Amino acid sequence: MAEMVSDAPTRQTLAGARQRLADRDGFLAWIFLVPTVVYIVVLVAIPFFLAIAFAFSDVTAGNPSYDWVGFENFRRVFADPVFWQSLRNTFVFTVISMLLIVVFGKVLAMVLTADFKGKWIVRFLVLLPWTTPVALSSITWLWLLHSIYSPIDWVLRTVGLIDDNSYFLGRPALAMGSVIAVHVWRLVPLAAVIMMVGILSIPDDLIEASRIDGAGFWRRLFEVTIPLTFPLIAVAALFGAIFTFTDMAVVYILTAGGPTNSTQVLASWSFTRGIAGGDIGQGAVIALFLFPLLLAAAVLILRAVRKVETF
Amino acid sequence: MTFEIDPWTRRRFLQLTGMTGAGITLGACASEPESPAANPEAKAPSPVFNEPATKLSGDLSILLWSHFVPSHDTWFDSFAKGWGKKVGVNVRVDHIDVENVPTQIASEISAGQGHDIVQYIATLSQFEPAVLDLADVTQEASNRHGEQLAICRESSYNPHTDKFYAFAPGWVPDPGNYRKSLWEPAGFPDGPSTWDDLLEGASQIYRSKDIPVGLGMSQEIDSNMFGHALLWSYGASVQDENENVVLDSPQTIAAVEFAQKLFNDAMTDEVFSWTSSSNNEGLIAGELSFIINSISAWRSAQETNPSIANDTFFVPALEGPEAALAAQHVMYNYAVPKHAKNPDAAKEFLLHFTDNFGLTTYHSRLYDFPSWPSLAPSLDDWLGDDPFGAKPADKLSFLGDVETAAEWSASIGHPGPSSPAIGEVLGTYTLPNMFARVTRGMSPEQSVKRAHEECERIFARWRQRDLIGGG
Repeated sequence: MAEMVSDAPTRQTLAGARQRLADRDGFLAWIFLVPTVVYIVVLVAIPFFLAIAFAFSDVTAGNPSYDWVGFENFRRVFADPVFWQSLRNTFVFTVISMLLIVVFGKVLAMVLTADFKGKWIVRFLVLLPWTTPVALSSITWLWLLHSIYSPIDWVLRTVGLIDDNSYFLGRPALAMGSVIAVHVWRLVPLAAVIMMVGILSIPDDLIEASRIDGAGFWRRLFEVTIPLTFPLIAVAALFGAIFTFTDMAVVYILTAGGPTNSTQVLASWSFTRGIAGGDIGQGAVIALFLFPLLLAAAVLILRAVRKVETF
Repeated sequence: MTFEIDPWTRRRFLQLTGMTGAGITLGACASEPESPAANPEAKAPSPVFNEPATKLSGDLSILLWSHFVPSHDTWFDSFAKGWGKKVGVNVRVDHIDVENVPTQIASEISAGQGHDIVQYIATLSQFEPAVLDLADVTQEASNRHGEQLAICRESSYNPHTDKFYAFAPGWVPDPGNYRKSLWEPAGFPDGPSTWDDLLEGASQIYRSKDIPVGLGMSQEIDSNMFGHALLWSYGASVQDENENVVLDSPQTIAAVEFAQKLFNDAMTDEVFSWTSSSNNEGLIAGELSFIINSISAWRSAQETNPSIANDTFFVPALEGPEAALAAQHVMYNYAVPKHAKNPDAAKEFLLHFTDNFGLTTYHSRLYDFPSWPSLAPSLDDWLGDDPFGAKPADKLSFLGDVETAAEWSASIGHPGPSSPAIGEVLGTYTLPNMFARVTRGMSPEQSVKRAHEECERIFARWRQRDLIGGG
C-alpha cells in the first residue's frame, strides 16, 4: 500500500511529460517524418550513392570487390551505340507518353466529373489499370500483342481489316507504339484522378457565370478549366513523365528491348548490361543518366506550376 | 428447419460461377500432365547411395530453375530431401523461373549470403571470382564414372585461371524439330539435313502452306543458340581457341547473308518478338514447320496436341559449308558460392546427384543427358523404345546415345572456353541482333563489323580483369 502511494507522483510526472511531448509540434513533426526519411535514405539515397560509387569501379556481378577505374566505364558506355539508342528511345517514349497521358487524362477526368448513371462503377473500372501491378498488366499485354495468338489480331482479321498478323512486338515501329500504348493505358487513370480533383475544385458559380456570358464548351475549356487546373495538369504530367522515364518492367516484359534494341530504354539497358551481362560498373553508369534528366524535368515542371500559381 | 435456395437468384448464380471458375483454375494448376505411357515407373533406374567422405550436418539450400518438364522438379525435391535425411542434413530446394536465376544469383553474391548451391542452364562463368573451385568434385565424379564429355568440361572450366567455376553434371542437346506432314510433300521426308535443305524446303512450305520456320532473332536464349549453330556451320565463331575475337570474317558474313535469305523466304516478323517459349508455342499450335529446340516442345505437344506430337520428328545439327554443329540447348552449371555456409554438404550432394543422373534423365523424360556417358546405361534402350509414349516408339533413336549427340554439339564458347566474356556476349544478345539488323536493311558487312566491335569491347574488359586469355 505504501508503495502504491509513493508511486502516484512518479506516474503523474510521467503522464505530464508525455503530455508535454505530445504538445510539442517540433517533436511530433520529426516523429511523423522519420518513416519517410528512413524510406528515402534506405531505398533512394543509399542506392543512388552506391550507383555513383559503382560507376567509377570495376564491380561485376561475380566480384563485388571495389577497384577504382576512373572514367573508364563512362568511356566504354559512350562508345556503345546501344546506349545512345536507349537514351533517344527513353526521351521519345517519355515525351509521347506524357502528351498522350495528359490529353487522355483530361478527357477522362471530364467524363468522370459529368453526371451520369453508374458513375461510381465507371470510376472504379477506370482506376483498375493503375491499381494492377505493372508486371501483371504487362504480361496480359504480352498475350494481347502476341505474334501468333493475339486476340487483337483475331478481331482485326475477323472484321476484315487485316489479312495477316500484325506482329505488334516484332516490328520496330509497332513495338515502340505498343510500349507507348501500354504506358498510356496504365498511367491515364492516375492523371485523370489528379485532374478530376482540379475540375471538382472549380466553383460552380464561376462556370455558371462564364456560361451566362455566352462561353461555349471549348471557350470554357481553354479559358476557364485548363488555366484553373493547370498546376494539377502539370503534376499529372510530372508523374506520367517520371513513371515512364524510370520504368523498365513494360519494356522488359513486352520486348526485352527488341527488335534489334529498337525499344531499349536506359533502365532496361542498364539492367541488361549490368545484371544479364554481369558488368555492374557499366550498368551503373547507364542508370546514372536517369538522374540529371529526371531532375531537370522535375525542376522545369515545378517551376511552371509556381509561375502559374503566382498569377 | 430447412432453407430453400432459389437456384436462379443472382447471388446464387455468381456464387456457382465463381466456385466453378475457381475449381477449374485450381484443377488446371494442380494437375500436372501425366506421361502418356502406361507404367513408366517400371523402367526407372534404381537409386544409388554412397556414404559421404565426411560426417555432415546443418542446413543445405539449393537454388535452381523450374524445369521445363515439371515432373522432374517433383522428383528432384524428394530426392534431395531424402538424401538429406540419410546424411543428417536439412535440405531446402527453391525453384524459380529460369529468366530470374542470374538476377537472383547476382543479388545473393552482392549481399554475401544466400543459397549453398546455385544452378543455371547456361554458363555461370561471370560469377567465377565469387564461387569455389569445384575441381575436386569434378575429379571425384570422373574417378567414379570415367571421362567427362568435353562439351561439359569446357562449359564449367576456365583454362586461363585453371578454375572449375562450376560443376556440369548434365546437358541437353538441341536438335531440329520438323513436321513430317509438311516436309514430306516438299521432297524431304526425313526433314532437312543441311542448311541449304532447310532454305529450300522451308521456302516451299511457306509459299504453299503459309507456315513459316521459327528460328528466333530476338533478345532471348534460343535465338543465341540458333545464331551460334549457324555461325559454326559456316566455319565462323565469336572467338578462336585462344580467346581472341574473330567474328568479323567472310564466313560470318556468309552466315548472315544466309540468315537474311532464310528470313526473306521462309520466316515472318514474329521471330523478332521471340521469347524462350515462342518456338514451343508455335510448334504446338501447328504454326511452324521447323524449329531448333530440345525435345521439350514435342513432349508438351504429346499432352496438349497429340496429333502435332505424332507429326513432329527430329534431325541432328544441320550441316553447313564447314561443319554440322549445334549449341547445347541447356548446360547445367552448379556453383557453390564462397558465402555458402555448408560447402562440404554442397559438394557431397553434387556427387550424390551425379551418381544418380540416370534418374534425372528418366524423370526429365529423356530431356537431360549426363555429362558422364556411363551414368545412363539404359539410355540407348529408352531412346529406341521411348517409355513416355512416343509414336513411333523409336522417334528419339536419332540421338543414338550421349556420345553420338555430343559429336554434333558444341559448348557455347566453341572453339574456346565458355568464358565470362562469352557469357556477356550471350547476355547482351549480340549475335541475334547481328542477324536481325540485316533483315532491317543494314548490310551484312556493317552488321558483322558492329557486332565484332561490341565483342571486342566486352572481351577487352574481361581481359583487363584477368579472367580470360588472348589479346
